[in-house]
Amino acid sequence: MADVWQGTLALMVLKTLDTLGPLHGYGIARRIEQTSANHLSVNYGTLYPALLKLDQEGYISAEWGVSENNRKAKFYRLTRAGRKQLERETRDWEKTTAILARFLAPKEHSS
Amino acid sequence: MRSLRAFLLRLAAPFTGSRGDAEFRDELESHLRLHIADNLRAGMPPEEARRLAIVKLGGITQTIERQREQRGLPFVDTLRQDLLYTVRTLRANPGFALTAILTLALGIGATSAIFSAVNAVLLRPLPFSDPNRLVMIYGVGGNDDRHESVSYPTFVDWRDQSHSFESMAAFANATLTIAVNGSTELVRGKRVAPSMFHVLGVQPAVGRAFTADDIDRSVVILSDGFWKRHFAGNNDAVGKTLRIMDAPFTVIGVMPAGFHIEPPGREQLYAPLPPDATRNHEFVRLIARLAPGVSRPHARSDLDGITGNLRRQYGRNSASEGATVEPLVDALAGPGRTALLTLLAVVSMVLLIACTNVANLLLARGATRRREMAVRAALGAGRGRLVRQLLTESLVLALAGGAAGLLLSQWLGALFVKVVSDFVEVPRLDATRIDGQVLLFTTIVSVATGVVFGVVPALSSAAPDLSDAMRDSGYTASGVRAPRLRRALVVVETALAVVLLAAAGMLMRTLITMRSTEPGFNTSSMLAVDIWLPPARFARLQDRVPLFQGVLERVRELPGVRAAAFVADLPLSGATDTEGFHIVGRADPAPDRWHSSGFNITTASYFEMMGISIREGRGFLASDGPMAPGVIVVNEAAARRFWPGRSPIGEQIQLPITRERAQLLTVVGVVADVRHRNLVDPPHSEIYVNSLQTELTWMPVVLAVRTQVDPKSVAEPIKAIFREVNPAVPIARISTMDEVVARSLAEPRLYSWLFAAFAVAAVSLAAIGLYGLISFSVTQRSKEIGVRVALGASRSEVMLLVLREGLGLASIGAVVGLVGGVAATRSLVGLINGVTPTDPSTFVAVIAVLLGAAAIACYLPARRAARLDPLRALRTE
Repeated sequence: MADVWQGTLALMVLKTLDTLGPLHGYGIARRIEQTSANHLSVNYGTLYPALLKLDQEGYISAEWGVSENNRKAKFYRLTRAGRKQLERETRDWEKTTAILARFLAPKEHSS
Repeated sequence: MRSLRAFLLRLAAPFTGSRGDAEFRDELESHLRLHIADNLRAGMPPEEARRLAIVKLGGITQTIERQREQRGLPFVDTLRQDLLYTVRTLRANPGFALTAILTLALGIGATSAIFSAVNAVLLRPLPFSDPNRLVMIYGVGGNDDRHESVSYPTFVDWRDQSHSFESMAAFANATLTIAVNGSTELVRGKRVAPSMFHVLGVQPAVGRAFTADDIDRSVVILSDGFWKRHFAGNNDAVGKTLRIMDAPFTVIGVMPAGFHIEPPGREQLYAPLPPDATRNHEFVRLIARLAPGVSRPHARSDLDGITGNLRRQYGRNSASEGATVEPLVDALAGPGRTALLTLLAVVSMVLLIACTNVANLLLARGATRRREMAVRAALGAGRGRLVRQLLTESLVLALAGGAAGLLLSQWLGALFVKVVSDFVEVPRLDATRIDGQVLLFTTIVSVATGVVFGVVPALSSAAPDLSDAMRDSGYTASGVRAPRLRRALVVVETALAVVLLAAAGMLMRTLITMRSTEPGFNTSSMLAVDIWLPPARFARLQDRVPLFQGVLERVRELPGVRAAAFVADLPLSGATDTEGFHIVGRADPAPDRWHSSGFNITTASYFEMMGISIREGRGFLASDGPMAPGVIVVNEAAARRFWPGRSPIGEQIQLPITRERAQLLTVVGVVADVRHRNLVDPPHSEIYVNSLQTELTWMPVVLAVRTQVDPKSVAEPIKAIFREVNPAVPIARISTMDEVVARSLAEPRLYSWLFAAFAVAAVSLAAIGLYGLISFSVTQRSKEIGVRVALGASRSEVMLLVLREGLGLASIGAVVGLVGGVAATRSLVGLINGVTPTDPSTFVAVIAVLLGAAAIACYLPARRAARLDPLRALRTE
């Protein structure tokens, strides 16, 4: 089980909110866990400082609402700046992984 | 950019609301509910569902803590805690807080007030363009390196031959008469080289500046004030004609409001300075603009080189020995500069004493807070954290004191300006006010004081001895006095106070000496009428004599007038004149140097009227008229100096009038010395020439009148007499001789009072510090004192015990301070004439005052100690 580092976590949060729309903290944590097919195990608590940071940076906004089973919960929503940031980070990530992929690829392809 | 937004939000977090925590608790609760509901749905028992949800979260407290760190900035949070805590502790002990803040407010307020004056006079840029490159140039010469005016030819040579200046212009003060509605008025003006306004970089607001062609034209530029007064601010003033010195002058321009070359002169008119060919007629000063990148020392050596050539070419009498180049701002501030900087140093010492006092208060408080510090240390606060807490406290005190001080300084500054302006004129002093610079200065001073008085107590209180402090009674009973550190601080502040006291004592002493000095003449019931004789009309002796005789005749007939005489330099008025001369039958001191003495011009009966006794020979008589052989009277100092060991009666001197011509004069009398320059300098040699005979170009311009009645009452009749005899002679000022004497004492009086005020503040602060320390010590030693009383010590013995501790400290401080005091008074010598640096009687008085103040400070605690009830003292734990 890999630890999830902050930068990646932020990207996953943004992507989750992009895909599923407004969601509360618990929902985001579950979604990340499920998408990674339980390969990534997160202390749900570490999610909250990451959410706060994204909020402070203005990429997401939060407001209280009512959950699917009628409970009060705080919902996070992607802002316009957040959407742009997601695109930027996705591009960066793809570039990074592409480079790493080529770097780590078997020798015979790169002669 | 995004991270800046985040940083600001985090910075603001502590202040935008403590709602953060509560809200996050709600969020976590909803998170757990959702998770538990899921777990229940998965079939877990309720207990297990809740436990797993919390485990998965990673603990509730830990999560809240992590969230907190992300929400704010840990540093700001601690600061906020410290601040809140500080406010709480200060409010819990308002007496301490108030004392500390008031002490600091006084110290910082006084310092800021003086600084605001320094700022106005010395730091604020002059209202000229690029003023940093403007300099004033003087000639230097003589033994005392005095600043002197230079001759017009020297100005021209310096200007044309030097390479260090972009531009240079000469100017000279001029007292001008203008004809207004038939009577004559005196106005201060300046004769300036045509390029003056160009050098300063200021253009007239109306009309034009002088051009090179104006140098020998009768044109004039008005000051804004003159324009508004005489032309009602009308633009058509340009082109009008003014009668100045009996000649028509055309107005060509008006300077902008607030423009003055030398603010204290408040010159009202500017006229071109006509060229003058005489090399030994030194009457102009120079303002120049340094070329870019040229330093003042470089410019000076440039001028010195030229001067050396001039002296070789024209002889030593014809040029200054060299030049000094002073920043214009300093030159214009004049002696006010030294005075202000001295006062700033003095007031800083008062502030330092205030700091010491507050440090002492904090140390005392630290002693009572040992338990608190120990508890906090025991609970895990590191030493750094405690020091930080204590420093925050002192900074809060300092900033509060600084804020109060700033308010105070506004008032103190105004008071200072008012007091100083009553005595002496300092340029730009009236522009003193609180501006950004002063604000910045006050803030820096406040923070610095906070650190200065806070750091020692913080370090010493933040390292409590846990086991000792936690015990029920923090103190042991036997002979513990105030801690060494606090005693050292009291010694320091006493020493500082003694330095100030010694300086003030020296000045007071000088003032007393001056006051008790016999001026050498009778000053009572005398009126001095300053007049002005326009040189154009009175250049020749035969023009002057009728005026003198006509006025004297009529004034002597006025009821209540006993005697009257004209004189050039009235003693103590500040005016002195020096002439070079030859003694007949004796060689000059050096081939190109003549004998030199103070000269004065008087009419007959001057000595009788002044009460100056005739020691030998006679005074001037009515028979010493314009046609009679020229006679002079010398004072005793001159007799001793030029004719030592014999009577000067019958000796003759040659007094050069122009290059070609000298006047032969015979000594007919010796008179007693008078104090001329001030009441302290020993009388200098003075040679009196008769106003009816002399051909010297300067003139007696003071009518001195001795009355039987109140001298002020004859002022109006005398004015009327002048109008009758010659309406073209303006009267500049009428004052009683007592006022003249008071004016000569103005500066020493001002400095004495200012220093005395600061010294009183310093001694009071030191006494308060001593009082605090000794009170504390008595409380500390109450058990010991109780034991002593129980064992039979009498009240007076107990009092003595306490007094000895206090006076002992004060004495150490006094001795240290005296050493500093001697050094300090040395530096005052340059400030005021007549200060003698080491005067034992003053130092004795200083010690007496200090020990007196110390005794008063110790008396209250000593009395408390003496009245201590031994039973109660021993029972108190």
